[in-house]
Amino acid sequence: MQKVLMKVGFVYVGPVGDAGWTYAHDQGRKYMVEQLPYLDESDTLVVESVPENADAERVLTDLAEKGCKVIFATSFGYMDYVINVAKRYPDVVFMHCSGYKTAENVGTYFGRMYQPRYLTGLIAGMKTESNLIGYVAAHPIPEVIRGINAFTLGVRAANPEAEVKVVWTNTWYDPAAEKEAALSLLDAGADVIAQHQDTPGPQQAAQERGAFGIGYNTDMRDFAPEANMTSPVWNWGPYYVEVVEAVKNGTWKSEQYWGSIADGVVGVGAYNEDLVPEEAKKLVEEKLALMKSGELEVFAGPIKDQEGNVKVKEGESLSDEEMLGMDWFVEGVKGNIPK
Amino acid sequence: MADSTLVSMRGITKTFPGVLANSDVNFEAKKGEIHALLGENGAGKSTLMNILTGLYRPDEGEIWIKGEKVVFRSPKEAIAAGIGMVHQHFRLVQPFTVAENLILGSPRPGRILNMKQVEKEITSISKKFGLEVDPRAKIWQLSVGEQQRVEIIKMLYRGADILILDEPTAVLTPQEVKELFKTLRMMADEGRAVIIITHKLHEVMAVADRVTVLRGGKYIGTVNKKETTKQELTKMMVGREIELSSNQDDYNPGEDVLILENINALNDKGYPALKNVNLTVKEGEILGIAGVAGNGQRELAEVVTGLREIQSGTLKINSKQYCNCSPLEIIDAGVAHIPEDRLGMGLVPSLGAVENIMLKEYRKKEMNKGLFLNHKLLKKKTGELIEEFGVKTASIDSPVKLMSGGNLQRLLIAREISCQPKFIVASYPVRGLDVGAIEAVHRILLEQRKAGAAILLISEDLEEIFALADRIAVLYEGEVMGVIRTSETTVEEIGLMMAGSREGEKVS
Amino acid sequence: MSVPQIAKKEQGFRVTLEKRGTTPYLIHFLVPVSSVVAALLVGAIFLKATGHSPLEIYAMMFNGAFGSMYGISETIVKAIPLMLTGLGVSIAFRMLLWNIGAEGQLYMGAFAASWVALFAPDMPGYIMLPLMFIAGFLGGALWGLLPAIPRAFLGVNETITTLMLNYVAILWVDYLVYGPWKDPKGFNFPLTAPFRDSASLPTFGNSRVHLGLLFALAAVVIVYVLLKHTRWGYEIRIIGESQNAARYAGMNIGKNILLVMLLSGGLAGLAGMAEVSGITHRLQHGISSGYGYTAIIIAWLSKLNPWAIIIVSFLFGGLLVGGFSIQTSGLPSATVFMLQGLILFFVLGGEILTRYRIKLQRGRK
Repeated sequence: MQKVLMKVGFVYVGPVGDAGWTYAHDQGRKYMVEQLPYLDESDTLVVESVPENADAERVLTDLAEKGCKVIFATSFGYMDYVINVAKRYPDVVFMHCSGYKTAENVGTYFGRMYQPRYLTGLIAGMKTESNLIGYVAAHPIPEVIRGINAFTLGVRAANPEAEVKVVWTNTWYDPAAEKEAALSLLDAGADVIAQHQDTPGPQQAAQERGAFGIGYNTDMRDFAPEANMTSPVWNWGPYYVEVVEAVKNGTWKSEQYWGSIADGVVGVGAYNEDLVPEEAKKLVEEKLALMKSGELEVFAGPIKDQEGNVKVKEGESLSDEEMLGMDWFVEGVKGNIPK
Repeated sequence: MADSTLVSMRGITKTFPGVLANSDVNFEAKKGEIHALLGENGAGKSTLMNILTGLYRPDEGEIWIKGEKVVFRSPKEAIAAGIGMVHQHFRLVQPFTVAENLILGSPRPGRILNMKQVEKEITSISKKFGLEVDPRAKIWQLSVGEQQRVEIIKMLYRGADILILDEPTAVLTPQEVKELFKTLRMMADEGRAVIIITHKLHEVMAVADRVTVLRGGKYIGTVNKKETTKQELTKMMVGREIELSSNQDDYNPGEDVLILENINALNDKGYPALKNVNLTVKEGEILGIAGVAGNGQRELAEVVTGLREIQSGTLKINSKQYCNCSPLEIIDAGVAHIPEDRLGMGLVPSLGAVENIMLKEYRKKEMNKGLFLNHKLLKKKTGELIEEFGVKTASIDSPVKLMSGGNLQRLLIAREISCQPKFIVASYPVRGLDVGAIEAVHRILLEQRKAGAAILLISEDLEEIFALADRIAVLYEGEVMGVIRTSETTVEEIGLMMAGSREGEKVS
Repeated sequence: MSVPQIAKKEQGFRVTLEKRGTTPYLIHFLVPVSSVVAALLVGAIFLKATGHSPLEIYAMMFNGAFGSMYGISETIVKAIPLMLTGLGVSIAFRMLLWNIGAEGQLYMGAFAASWVALFAPDMPGYIMLPLMFIAGFLGGALWGLLPAIPRAFLGVNETITTLMLNYVAILWVDYLVYGPWKDPKGFNFPLTAPFRDSASLPTFGNSRVHLGLLFALAAVVIVYVLLKHTRWGYEIRIIGESQNAARYAGMNIGKNILLVMLLSGGLAGLAGMAEVSGITHRLQHGISSGYGYTAIIIAWLSKLNPWAIIIVSFLFGGLLVGGFSIQTSGLPSATVFMLQGLILFFVLGGEILTRYRIKLQRGRK
C-alpha cells in the first residue's frame, strides 16, 4: 500500500493516563492509527496537559507549523484559540470537540452522551435502595447539566421515587476533590454514585463505602471492581478515522457533528455482570433499541423543572439548540445551578 | 610534660574568610591557676577559646588535654574532656528552673530523674564555692549575676576542671565582681584551671596568676602577674603606651537642653524599665549614666530618641515638648544618637559608606535634585567625612560590615556629628573598640562638649565615665539612684549606687 | 617557644561548606550556567533510560522556545506576566514583605480591567486602554493593600494573609464568570463576553506579543530608578536591610509597608490587565497559569535585581514554551515537567554556592 504523508495533531487537556476523558480520546487516536494503513504512531503528534488559556494557542500553532493536516482540539476551552490559529492556517483542518464556533476550516464534533446517560440512569434507578443517587459534577455548563437531566430522567423512568443529588467540584481533573465530593454524597445517604468527571475517584469512593457507581468516559470497572456497574463511554475511534479519511480524500467539509448512540460515538460500556440486575439489563436493551430506531427521545415531554413548571409539553421534545443551551434542572434533581 | 599542665594548645591557626583570627597561637593553663587571656576586642581570644571548646576546628595546630592529644569534633566531646565555658551571653532556658537547666544536656547517665538528688548537689556546690542560688528558682526570675552563678554551677556539676569565662565581669557590679573573684580563686585552689577572657587590665591585676596576651590574632607572650605591671601589659596589648583622655576642661554648663520629668517606660517584655526618671542635661556638659547593663540604660536612650513609647512623664528638648514624638521629629530637633548596637541599628551593614552617611540627611532638599537623590553630592560629602574622621575603608561602596569596629564607629559618629547636633545620646560609644579608636571617640565627644553640645553618655565602664562626664547619674532597676558631680564622688560611691543604694546612703 | 611538629596522618577528606566573605562576579555567572548544565546532564540520563535521544530533545526544546521568531515571540508572551509579577513580588521582598499574593493581585487586576472593558460605554482605544490600565493597576494595588493594613498596624504575618487572599480573588473571578458576568451567548461556559476591539491591547506584527511588553519594560526601568535614585527607594532599601536602622533614622515603616504593597500588587494587577486585554480578550476561569507563584522563583533567581528580572523571565518563559513543544516528539508531559523541575532544582540549589564555598577538609569523618 502506498504511504501518504500525513500528520495528525491532538491537543489534550489532561494527561493520557487520566483514565477518563483524555484517555478516551487517546484510545480513539490509537484505533485510528490501527485502522489507517497510511498512518504510523509517529504521524500523530500529541500534546497533553495543555491548559485552556494562552498556552493552547501556542500549542495549536506549533502543531500546525510541524505539518499537521488535521488537528483535534479536545476540550471546550480551546475554542477561541482554535478559531484564531485556524485563521492563520487555512490549509489545516481543525476539529474542535464540544465547542460551537466553526469556520471554513474549523469543524466541531461531539456526541449525544445524554443518551447513554439516560440508559445508565435506568440501571441506577433500579439499583438504589435508599432512593438517593449521588452525582459528582464538574462545571455547571450545558453539557454537564444535560447529562444530569438525562440521567435523572432515566432514574425516574425506572424508579419514580428516586432523586439525584448533585455536587459541583468546579474541576474536570482533580482525583482528590472528586473523591471527597463523592464521599460527601455517600455521607448524605446516597448508595449509587454517578459522575461527570475525568477520573475514577468517585467510583473508588463508592467502593470504599460499599456503595455502587456509574462511571464516565471509559470502562472504569478495573478501578472499582466491587462498585462500578458500568459507564456511559466515548468511542471516538471510528469518527476520527472518518474525518482523517475525508481530509485525505478532499471531501471534508466544516460541520457541527453531534453523533448519537446509533452512530456508535457514545454508548453504554461493558457491564459488571455481578452487580447489574438482570431486569435492568433487559430494560436497557429495550430502551436502547427504541433509541436507535428513533422512537425514544430522552427529552420528550412532559418534563417538569425542579419547581414543577412544565418545561416540555406532552408530545413535544427539545431541539438541539435548546439542549445545547440547557441551564435548568429537571424534577428529581436535588441541587442547584450556580447563577 | 609537667603533670600540672591541664591544657596545652600549640601552633593554633584559624582563618575565616578574609580574616586571620588566630595565627600560630600557643596557650597553656595549669592546675590551680587563674589564667587571664588578655587582648583587645578582635585580638582572637574568643576564637581561641571556641577552638578549645570544640566549637571551631583549627586549620592547624594541636590541642593536648591532661597530656593527651585530642581532636574535638563537637562541643560535646570537649565537655566530656572536662572543659566548660561560661559565655558572655548565657545559654540558659528562661522558663526552666535552675535544676532543670543543669540536667539539660548533662552527660550523666541514668534515665530516671531524681530532682531531689540534683537539687541537693546544687546546694552542696553552691555552698562550697559561695555561689548562692535557689535550685528551684526559674531563670527569668534571677538577676544577671545570679544567672552567671548558675552557669558556673552548671560547669561544675558537669565535672569540668578546665573552666573558661568569657568577659565575666561585664554585667556585674563592682561588689559582685569581688564575689566572683573569690569564687574563682576557690575553684583554682581545688585543683582546677580557670581561664578568664578579658580586656580589662585592673581585673587581670586583681585576680590572675598568669597572663597570656594576644594581639591581632597573634601570640604576644605569657607572663606571671607578679613579674609584670599594667604598663607592660598595655604595651603588649596595643603595641604602644597610651593614656586615656580625661576631662580637665572647665565646667561651664549653659541652658538645660534635655529635661526628663517623671518618665516611665516599659521594656520589650512589657515590664517597667524606667521608673519616675528625672534628669537634665545642659549645654556644654556630659552627663554620664553609670549602672550595670540591663538596668534601664537602653530604654533611656530609646525614650529620648523617640524610639520607645513614654508611659507617663514629660520629655523636653530645648524647652519644647517632645513626648511620644516620632524619631524623625526628634532628629529634626537636633538630636544625634550613637546607639549601643552599631551594626544592628546605627548602620546598615550590607550597604556602603555613602548610603550609611546619608541615612538621616537624605530627606534634606539640598541632598536631592528634584525627585532624585543627588548621588554626586552625597558621595562628595561622604568622602569628606571619611577623610575628616579618619575612617579606613577599602572603597566607599563596599559594605560597611567589612570594616573594623573602630572604623564603623568613626563612620557612625561622623554622620551624627555632621548634623551639628545640639544634643547627643551616646550609648556605650567605645564598647569593643581598640585603644586608638577609643581615644578618637573620646576626643570627638569632648570637642562636641566644648562646642556647646549637651551629651548623654551611657557606659558600663566607670573609668570612661569618670574620665569624661561632668556629672554622673546612676541607674538601678530603672530608677535614678542619684546625680553627682564627678569631682565630688568616688568609684566606690558610684559602685554602691550601682548595687542599689541611694545617693548619700551607707550600705552596711 | 618551639612546638614539635607531628606528622599529619592522612585520614581521608571531609566536605564542608564555608560562608564566602564576598562573591566574585564570575561566580554569579558561572554557578547558574553550570547548574543548568548539570540539570541537563541528569535529565539526559533519564531521557536515555526512557529511550529518547537527549540531544534531540534538548535541541527541540531550545528551538521551540528560541529557535524561530515565532518561538521567541511566544516566549516573550509568557515572559510579560512573569516580568510584571516578578517585579511586583521583588519590590515587596526588598522590604522583607513576603507577598505570596501576586496570583490573587493578578486576578483582581484582570477583574478590574475587565469591569471597565465590559461595562464602560463604548469609546476609542486610546481612552479605553488607559482606563483599563489604571483599573488593572488599582485592582491589584488595593488587593495588595488589604493584607498590608493588618501587617502595618498589628504586625499580622503577611505571608499567610496574602496567600489566602489568592484563593479569595480566584474564587471571586470564578463567581463572576460562572455567574453574573457569564456571556449570555456562551452556552453557560465560564467566560465573559469577548471584549470590544477597543479594549484589546495592540500587538506587534503578526505575533501575539502585545503592548504589555512595553508596560513590563517600562516598569523595570521605573522600579530601578525608584530604588536607586529616589528618597522613597532609598527608604525601601534601608527598611529591607535593617528595620532597626530605618526606625532609628526616622523612617515611617508602616507607611512604607502600605505603599510598597500598593506598588507590588499594582504591578501584578497590570499583569492581569495585560493578560485579559492582550491575550484572552475576555475574563475567564483560569486566566493565569500560576504566574503569581512563578513570580516568587523569578524574584529569587533575579536576586531582586530589576534588570535581571527581564532576563530571568525571558529564560523562564522559554523553559515553559519549550516544554510544550517537546511533547510532540512523543515525550509525555510528566517527563517534561520533570525536566523543568530538574532545571529549577539545580538552579535554585546551585544558589547556595554563590554564598558558600565548598571546602575539602582533611580529617576523619
